[in-house]
Amino acid sequence: MRKYLVKRLLTGLLTIVIAFVINFLIINLAPGDPIKTLMGKESDDPVLRAALEEKYGLNKPLHIQFFSYLKTAMRGDLGISIIYNRPVADMIAEKLPATILLVLTSGVLSLIIGTAMGIVAARKEGTFIDVLFSGFSYILNSMPSFWLGLMLIIIFSTVLNILPTYGMTDARASYTGMAYVLDVIKHMILPVGTLVLIEIPMYYRIAKSSVLQVTNEDYILTLRATGMSEKKIFNKYIFRNAILPTVTIFGISLAYLITGVSLIETVFAWPGTGRLVLTAINQRDYPTLMGIYLIMSVSIAVVMIVVDIVYAILDPRIRY
Amino acid sequence: MIRTIVNDKQLLFGILGLIFLLLVAVLAPVIAPEDPYYYGPDVLNKLGENGHLLGTNKMGQDIFSMIIHGTRTSLKVAVISAFISGILGMLIGGVAGYFGGQVDRAISEFINIFMMLPTFFLILLIIALFGNSIYNVMVVIGITTWPSNAKLMRAQALSLRERTFVKAATAMGESRLQILFKYIIPNGVFPVIANTTVGMSNAILTEAGLSFLGLGDPNIISWGQMIYDGKAYLTSAWWIATFAGIAIVITVTIFYLLGDGLNHVMNPKRSKGKGV
Amino acid sequence: MDNVILDVRNFNVTYVNKYKKVYAVKDANFSINRGDSLGIVGESGSGKSTMAMALLRLLPEKSTEISGSAYFLGKDLVKLSEEELKKLRWKELSVVFQKSMNSLSPVHRIRTQVEDIYRVHNPKATREEIAERFIHLLKLVNLSDRVYNLYPHELSGGMLQRVSIAISLINNPKLLIMDEATTALDVVTQGQILDEVVKMEKEMDMTRIMITHDMSVVATSCNKVAVMYAGEIMELGYVKDVLKKPMHPYTKGLMASFPSLKGKKEKLQSIGGFLPDLSKKYEGCIFAPRCSSAMDICQKKPPVIEMENGRTVRCHLYGGER
Repeated sequence: MRKYLVKRLLTGLLTIVIAFVINFLIINLAPGDPIKTLMGKESDDPVLRAALEEKYGLNKPLHIQFFSYLKTAMRGDLGISIIYNRPVADMIAEKLPATILLVLTSGVLSLIIGTAMGIVAARKEGTFIDVLFSGFSYILNSMPSFWLGLMLIIIFSTVLNILPTYGMTDARASYTGMAYVLDVIKHMILPVGTLVLIEIPMYYRIAKSSVLQVTNEDYILTLRATGMSEKKIFNKYIFRNAILPTVTIFGISLAYLITGVSLIETVFAWPGTGRLVLTAINQRDYPTLMGIYLIMSVSIAVVMIVVDIVYAILDPRIRY
Repeated sequence: MIRTIVNDKQLLFGILGLIFLLLVAVLAPVIAPEDPYYYGPDVLNKLGENGHLLGTNKMGQDIFSMIIHGTRTSLKVAVISAFISGILGMLIGGVAGYFGGQVDRAISEFINIFMMLPTFFLILLIIALFGNSIYNVMVVIGITTWPSNAKLMRAQALSLRERTFVKAATAMGESRLQILFKYIIPNGVFPVIANTTVGMSNAILTEAGLSFLGLGDPNIISWGQMIYDGKAYLTSAWWIATFAGIAIVITVTIFYLLGDGLNHVMNPKRSKGKGV
Repeated sequence: MDNVILDVRNFNVTYVNKYKKVYAVKDANFSINRGDSLGIVGESGSGKSTMAMALLRLLPEKSTEISGSAYFLGKDLVKLSEEELKKLRWKELSVVFQKSMNSLSPVHRIRTQVEDIYRVHNPKATREEIAERFIHLLKLVNLSDRVYNLYPHELSGGMLQRVSIAISLINNPKLLIMDEATTALDVVTQGQILDEVVKMEKEMDMTRIMITHDMSVVATSCNKVAVMYAGEIMELGYVKDVLKKPMHPYTKGLMASFPSLKGKKEKLQSIGGFLPDLSKKYEGCIFAPRCSSAMDICQKKPPVIEMENGRTVRCHLYGGER
């Protein structure tokens, strides 16, 4: 088990480093740079450019830039945003909680709902419920997440007018305490709803096929031959065996959410890191981009490692 | 073969759907009532107003015509990205599976690491920084989605390697590269083809996502672009964004049906029914 | 009649689906006394496993039709409700299946599964009681007691099969059905396990049905044999009688197709032809198309002819009309 852990951690670390290097290279080798944005589109004063490049260390050779960034990043200093002139780490810290709120809530809800649907469809295979759920899942799977978000806004905000269209809180009122929490929840319903609907098909498919497969395994037949109650067989033996692939899917789902949440944040004007990335891309704000990308890569790697470890705990065959 | 197609509902609808899409794409100029680039006088018309079946947008373009022409873009994106992704996946996976040993270990690690990269953002970055022409989009999607194809091909290559006809070819003195291209790849390619349909669906969704973020190619009519335009008019002219999205849903569903159908044909084992 | 453990009469099993019916077992009749070990022999598709699974009612209810009777300890297995069946299962009647590698849940320790299984009929048993009991059984099958705490994948095929046997004996059942239980094992392990089973039987006063396609297994470990073909019992009798003097042409063919270790080298013989399509009903003897002794009368279905010493043969060669 220990060997497995160590191997996973090392691979995770390697992934982060590589992601980082790729990212760094792409950003720095691409056309366009932040200096242009800072200087404004019109002027191209060489003296000003030289001074700005000097200030931000952009005139040093690439590998020196890379290592100096790494050094400071290790200390928690992700640099200063060239556009906003604020520490990147601060900017990220401000927006990160909002994104985490969306990602975790959606991740957990879609896991529960999708898996439950899959289990029900497997137990009632061939019935109307199965057909209904499967069809539902198929269509959801084909929808672009942002379009679904827009459609939900049309239905619930414009037509029915029961849910807010954008933002995390009602900017005009300033709620505190419980009222604040309720307000946030009200604003969360549509974005989380969209993300959950988009993620459900993944869980549904894997849960249904896994339960079906396990139910047909020899050991289930053996247990039935012993006279064990169906309930016990299902709750202890079928469930425990069938849930394994779902764990892996949870990791993939979270990874998808961490990156895909930016589309939803755009649709709903949710103040998270997703939107920050988009503006940073447009403005070529290198430090912010690097910082967010680093955080994202680390999060995904951590999620994958945790998921693998949980899987190893649940499945004794993997540990060897 | 016709019988297999007709018997499997998903494959049947998938192929019919594909034919439908191809017809629409090829016959677009004939089917569409107007030139989609025509900035006409009818601005923000509702459904059916002035003969515009699905209304118009702010520039006076007929939505229905735009959707018809958008089919071409989506199919192009789907096919070209999936093609690039498939070729890369086949080659890399085939080499890894067939050559085995150190080569396989190194390539497999590479595949695993690549799969863990946040590809959507990679795509965003590349497009944002290198320009958003539709060809950039297709190439980038292709070079970031090959890992799943590679894994499939590798698994196939690993098992094909042990087959008698491959061993016979080796014994007869054929070079490794020859065997790779003559036997391994052609025989192992089928699951990759089925997986490619999923790749095509994803390519369409990704292109739509890019366009929605403003990173699409504004010179091309694409469904994603239409949703992007429609966002600002969500409350006043909901039809601009809605129908483009429905077109995406239909097209992606067709590709999924096709992929599922192909998978069924390849693995006739049914999990239903417990026999003895 | 107290000596008869299982009495099967006019037993039929038919698989039903949308398109057709498959007559897997037709008109089976046999009875087993206490202490017997009945070997049911037949090639793949002969219906032997189907019969065993049907007796235990382990086939999917929706797609299977069972008729006839199977009296076990005075109760008709065919007619019992699920509830009553559950009371019998594993307590009086248990099974060992073939595919040993997957016969236990891979994510639970053997100990856990044994405890759960034992508690089906003895809900108040303590862990210590169960452990003591099971470790005793492990000894009987020549396994060390550390096996109790392992996971299934940590054992070899042979060890797992022995564990399956031990589990099947945990409630001291009156009847044990072993369905191709040694088929997946190598010959040496198979021999060992069979020896252990025969020894255990004597110790535990157990009756056994052994389902196999391997005549040698029957020869070494059973006292009675039933030969099945295409869902019908062709011949039934004591092993010593049937093996020395096989009567049914099919049985003769089976015996002849086994190569002998001794004697001069002979060409391997096989029975020509193929298994019949079980979805059709046949007027005459179902083996006739492949039988070298077929006569005109074989166009009519042969009755089961009872001979001396519990021997029965389903063949026109031995009586009935001529």
